[in-house]
Amino acid sequence: MTKSLLLIDDDDDIREVAQLALEVGTDWRILTAASGSEGIELARDVCPDAILLDVMMPVLDGPATLEQLRGDDRTREIPVVFLTAKARPAERDRLAGLSVSGVLAKPFDPLELPEQLRITLGWASV
Amino acid sequence: MSDDSLRAAVRAIWERSRDAIMQRVVALEDASRAATNGELAPEMRRDAQREAHKLAGAVGTFGFWEASALAKEAEAILEGDDTITPTNAMRLSNLTASIRQQLSDEPGREQDAPIAPESLETIVSVGHGKLLVIGTDVDFRERMAIEARSLGVEVLAARSAAEARTMLTGPIDAVILDLTLPDAGFTFLERLHAARPTIPVIVLSDNDEFQDRVEAARLGGSGFLQKPVRPSQLIDLLRDSLVATADDVATIVAVDDDAELLAMIQALLQPVGARVVTVTDPLRVLNVLVEHAPDLVMLDVDMPGLNGIELCRVLRNDPRWSALPVLFLTARSEPANVLRMFEAGADDFVAKPVLGPELVARVRNRLERTRMLRLAADVDSLTGVATRRRGIEVLERIFRLAQRQRQPISVAAIDLDHFKQVNDRFGHLVGDMVLRRVATILSACFRGEDIVARWGGEEFIVAMYSARCAFAAKRLTEALDKLRAEVFEASGATHSVTFSAGVAEFPTDGSDWTAVYRAADDALSHAKAQGRDRVVCVEREPTAPAESSVDVVLVDDDAVLVEVLERALQSSGYRTLSVRDGTSAMEVLTGASPRVRARVIILDGGLPGHDGFAVLRALTRDGITRRSRVVMITTAKPDPEVQHALDLVTFAHIEKPFTVDELTGVVRAAMDAPHTSSPA
Repeated sequence: MTKSLLLIDDDDDIREVAQLALEVGTDWRILTAASGSEGIELARDVCPDAILLDVMMPVLDGPATLEQLRGDDRTREIPVVFLTAKARPAERDRLAGLSVSGVLAKPFDPLELPEQLRITLGWASV
Repeated sequence: MSDDSLRAAVRAIWERSRDAIMQRVVALEDASRAATNGELAPEMRRDAQREAHKLAGAVGTFGFWEASALAKEAEAILEGDDTITPTNAMRLSNLTASIRQQLSDEPGREQDAPIAPESLETIVSVGHGKLLVIGTDVDFRERMAIEARSLGVEVLAARSAAEARTMLTGPIDAVILDLTLPDAGFTFLERLHAARPTIPVIVLSDNDEFQDRVEAARLGGSGFLQKPVRPSQLIDLLRDSLVATADDVATIVAVDDDAELLAMIQALLQPVGARVVTVTDPLRVLNVLVEHAPDLVMLDVDMPGLNGIELCRVLRNDPRWSALPVLFLTARSEPANVLRMFEAGADDFVAKPVLGPELVARVRNRLERTRMLRLAADVDSLTGVATRRRGIEVLERIFRLAQRQRQPISVAAIDLDHFKQVNDRFGHLVGDMVLRRVATILSACFRGEDIVARWGGEEFIVAMYSARCAFAAKRLTEALDKLRAEVFEASGATHSVTFSAGVAEFPTDGSDWTAVYRAADDALSHAKAQGRDRVVCVEREPTAPAESSVDVVLVDDDAVLVEVLERALQSSGYRTLSVRDGTSAMEVLTGASPRVRARVIILDGGLPGHDGFAVLRALTRDGITRRSRVVMITTAKPDPEVQHALDLVTFAHIEKPFTVDELTGVVRAAMDAPHTSSPA
């Protein structure tokens, strides 16, 4: 069955590039949301197979969004991968400690993103 | 859509977003000017920092990797509340100017570097390893990062031992240490091992000196490789060590109808390295056990539906789970209740309310015992080296690795000389002591990636990865010298002990560990026959020198074909000889000391006189197929059984009709392939 992935990032351009890169590089269904709250709502409705979540967003940031996702039975089990420009190891360790499947670095290379996600999520290459 | 068109599409998005992104640069420029004038307000600074952060995270994606790195630097300057020094203000101004310049260029100007260096180093997969590479070779480091990524392993880099020291304070799972660094060397290795003894350290060195290997092993190195090393080689070594670590993570299944308690158990045990699978419905337990194959299960005594006692009985009656450690959770620890739990097959229990330290201690205890039991099957109780069972397991693993890596492995069969007399004269206690001493000496001489195992009785084996026969023999001789120098005292008399050893290597003497071991065992017999107390390598050349040796012998009755092939092979520089029938082939090629030795024999299946298969049988019988590679020509596809037999003794088999190029291609492959006793 086709996998679906929800991409939550407030940056329009980055969201667009990531969506494009993933649509080209995978056969997954890509859904997008421009804020944490929009993402949570969408996740509840469609229950995607995984969520790629930007860390730094206004209002509801990545960790806060994650907390709400984990607090809801409908979204509790969905694997989440953080996307962050915080490159320092301490920061990444902190993020990695938040019961996520992985942390990907920003900026990402559009050509590499699909493979990075596959590896992180343990999804076999197509 | 191709990579290029994806790049074009990304560029189109960039063109659209450029103005918005340049606004962020403007905000940075404003902040930079304010900082230079010493009037950067906190709010403006925070905004600017956020803009820098956004820039750093975004522009690389559009191909501006350098601008991304510059923005990251700007972000670091703006971070925090400390006053921005004039130097930093100037740096900020330079950074913003560079960023603007970079961004007004064509994106993807750096397309030659298709993968961002940053992205290589910053992938973290939770639950996977962190690898620290200490060395100055940037190219090697980056190739390592690419390879490591395939494993989900993050590569951190240190350019000096000093830099490495600070990084080693964080979580690191393995280290690659280049000994040629000016401030690294053995002293650093020793300190590193003392400070973090559990981290495997693979040592890279410019020279393959025996002393260096020994020293590296003595100081705690768990692997030694001579430069240049291919990253894939290292990755394979690491994969094995990381997989081994992953195996050490205990899986615990916790069953309780109280979800909050389960969450707490999870919170208590995960930090100590356990993976906790929680189950609230006792009826689901069996499925979960099958799926997760845990190392321990925790059961709540009182649960609706099926209580813990009943569940435990079910487990104990199932051969799959009868030995699985079971730990009960109970609010009622009065004697009668405790008795009920142990009768049902409990290993231990924890009283509710659960106290963190107690729970952790009891679980650890239980897991440690299981580990010891498993270890007992791996470690020979008398000598402390690996058991035969464990030895075979590791041999199989490193032979697979060697095949992939095209690395040699040396295997030595070692047998104590006149050991029966030691037992008879001094008794078994002394015999056991001698065995222990030999095991200790061998373990001291061979460490890290080498294997020492007790094969049974007074026989040991040693296997050395990436070592040729001569090198292995040298080290065994050292071990033998050490043993000979030992004085054993018993019943008032002193005596010394020696061993004999035979050494063979992969792939020259065999294509799998059993074949190599057999060759080593043969060599051991020679060592015994030559008077014991010595190390003997497999003898590869026949004692009676062959009359002549050529590269290729063609055995075929088709004169035209032979002529064409001979000419083609000779033009490739090969020395050839042709034989037209089976009987002549037997005369020339077989027997104890054949007249002609060939590296490759091309053998037609259908021949006058003895047919090709009869010749092949004779070649196999006389051991010729061990040193010459046979390429068999058949007219039709042989039936599966014949095919199977052919596969065992020939290098390749070709069906008629074939082109000259096809055949010369196979001959070339046969010439180049590593020497094995049977096909690769």
